[in-house]
Amino acid sequence: MPGEFVALLLLMLLASVPAILRKHKFKSPVVHRRPDADMVKVVLDLEPKALEDLFTLYRKEFGAEAARYARRTYSKWKSGEVRPNRQTFNRFLVHLPSVMSFDLKCEVLRKLRQEYCAGDDYQLTVDTRSWREDVAPLVEEVVNKSYTARLPMYVERKLRWLAAEDMKLAHSILAESQARESRNALFLLEREFDNIERLLRATGGRGEVTHTVRLPLGTITLTVERRMMT
Amino acid sequence: MADEKDELVPQKQSLFDVTADDILDNALRNLDEKQSRDVTKKAADEVVRIAVEKRMAEHRAEAAQEEMRNLVHNANLLDQRGGDYEINSTFETATGTTQVQIRRSKSASGLLIAAAIGLVILLIILITLIIRA
Repeated sequence: MPGEFVALLLLMLLASVPAILRKHKFKSPVVHRRPDADMVKVVLDLEPKALEDLFTLYRKEFGAEAARYARRTYSKWKSGEVRPNRQTFNRFLVHLPSVMSFDLKCEVLRKLRQEYCAGDDYQLTVDTRSWREDVAPLVEEVVNKSYTARLPMYVERKLRWLAAEDMKLAHSILAESQARESRNALFLLEREFDNIERLLRATGGRGEVTHTVRLPLGTITLTVERRMMT
Repeated sequence: MADEKDELVPQKQSLFDVTADDILDNALRNLDEKQSRDVTKKAADEVVRIAVEKRMAEHRAEAAQEEMRNLVHNANLLDQRGGDYEINSTFETATGTTQVQIRRSKSASGLLIAAAIGLVILLIILITLIIRA
């Protein structure tokens, strides 16, 4: 009798496994063991134009020799091969922001938000007809996160310039912007799923599709199955 | 008397009820003229940036659709030639990346059918043995 009970229990557990695997949220383990060095890396990941502006400013503030060294060491700092020291951190993230344009400071803030406020990865299995029911709530969650996300306390403590009134407004502008980008992604997914449905239909069961949606503050990985017409 | 009553009504809300809008209004009030201009310009720039990003994403979706059509065409050609094959492709799309795998394995499906037939025969033998016993 207890054997039958255990067998039944095992059977129930096995039956629930696919449901658990269907939808899952993974919290990416972003660990910043060297906070200052990591913040420098984030800044060096700016878009090319913003990065060029940053180096131009660096040269103006600290001289040609320092700027040459910074440009030479840039890729090593970025890859982690060379660890930026305290002086480098202070130059890039304490001194330069005081002379940066508002626009450049916003770009630095955008990178900081992407690095420190993102991190939720979702993985789920959807079908080509009812994907919206599963995906829309997740996108909404990421949209809400855009408005509520805050940088870690240690980052705010180190980067005092973020507390200025204009940067508070920059936070709000970027939050709204990231929320809109996420909503746009949901709209664009409609067309993408049409493409995927067409591909799966044309390959007649031989095709397997995984689609990764990259949002400003999160990633959704979808394993797509084709639902037959009833 | 009416005046006394009016005085009893709190004129201001508690500081704890400050909303995000209040904070923004306050921040806006504290900006100088140049900062106000910078903030307004950045907000406008972001609207344009998002619109451009969306248009570029739509172009990526169009390109991906064309590439997927080519992939299916290639898979069909391989089908006609016969034999096993596996194609793996990654497409940059409007919202991210799509990974596609198309494969056909005749030998694998043949093995599967043979295994299923073997299993059925084994079951028939077992049932026959049980009935005879």
